[in-house]
Amino acid sequence: MIDLKGKKIAVTGASSGIGREVAILVSKLGADLILTGRNQEALNETASQIATNCEVILCDLSVEEEIENFAKKIKSIDGLAHCAGIVQPFPIKFIKSKHIDTVLKINLYSGILLCSNLLRNKSFNNGSSLVFISSVSADHPYNGSALYSISKKGLEAFARSFSLEQSIQKMRANVVVPALVNTNIYEKTKAAYDEEFIKKIEAQYPLGIGEPIDVANMIAFLLSNNAQWITGTSIKMDGGLLLNNNT
Amino acid sequence: MTLEAFTKALEEEFEEITPGTISPDSNYREIEGWSSMHALIVIAFVDNHYDIILSAADLKQTSTIKDLYNIVQQRVG
Ligand SMILES: NC(=O)c1ccc[n+]([C@@H]2O[C@H](COP(=O)([O-])OP(=O)(O)OC[C@H]3O[C@@H](n4cnc5c(N)ncnc54)[C@H](OP(=O)(O)O)[C@@H]3O)[C@@H](O)[C@H]2O)c1
Repeated sequence: MIDLKGKKIAVTGASSGIGREVAILVSKLGADLILTGRNQEALNETASQIATNCEVILCDLSVEEEIENFAKKIKSIDGLAHCAGIVQPFPIKFIKSKHIDTVLKINLYSGILLCSNLLRNKSFNNGSSLVFISSVSADHPYNGSALYSISKKGLEAFARSFSLEQSIQKMRANVVVPALVNTNIYEKTKAAYDEEFIKKIEAQYPLGIGEPIDVANMIAFLLSNNAQWITGTSIKMDGGLLLNNNT
Repeated sequence: MTLEAFTKALEEEFEEITPGTISPDSNYREIEGWSSMHALIVIAFVDNHYDIILSAADLKQTSTIKDLYNIVQQRVG
């Protein structure tokens, strides 16, 4: 039984999709919460579904000063679920540094800067657990995914470095690596392509595409003491998508 | 950029296409070998030339190169 009572957990990307589901689940399991994102209304909607103590703090994680201010407001936490991220497919031959900045700032730099600020401020309690979200496309790119794949692979490397450096404080850092999950990101894909193409994608998943709760369940486990011996690892969740793929 | 120049410049980005195959009235999804990669190229092309980010859903509303050009002109204007 996963029990998060007595823990305080910060969730980024809490206004939507996987982050929102994580917030709702960890609250059901007893944790107090700090929710962040840019969309106040959507964050309030998440907060309305939280039964435990919950604080909403607005922060644009692509702006370093905002990360610093956000981190200052976090006095003491036992866990971080870093769910904020964007998907913006872009073919390599068109990439300019502004495109690299846009994707890396939110998908990679924000996680690094948030952790470094929280460490400097001594906000993490000993034994804290951090969970980051990568993507199967870090290792299995699709057309236009270069920047997204780089950002997610970078995040995995960062989590491993963090888990090594902070093991002295018994802190842990892990990464979940999902394939397609039914969130806004998937809704946008569905709006863009014809039904046949979408059916083809869905048919590649022996267990169907994922739901936010599938990912949230794993994140809640990693945040809990049940996972106290698991650190520096990446856990793939793909509904069987890559079973036929040898790479 | 005029509609004709827009059509020519976009055609140049689709490297495997014989020059002169595409006209403003071409339905770009019917271009031989059309794939999701070409849709990404259209979005990136517009971003690089006009600093406008079309969503894939914007793209879905258009059929011809002219439709696309008109959407871009509306956003610029
Ligand atoms: N859905 C999938 O298929 C899938 C697959 C693999 C990995 N992932 C990863 O899972 C994570 C969650 O994605 P999702 O599917 O739940 O997408 P989503 O529903 O679009 O949620 C994305 C979240 O990121 C936040 N965010 C984006 N830019 C931000 C910024 N500049 N500052 C602060 N927050 C920002 C958004 O909050 P605001 O809008 O309030 O700022 C939102 O809460 C992402 O890291 C994504 O890469 C998703």
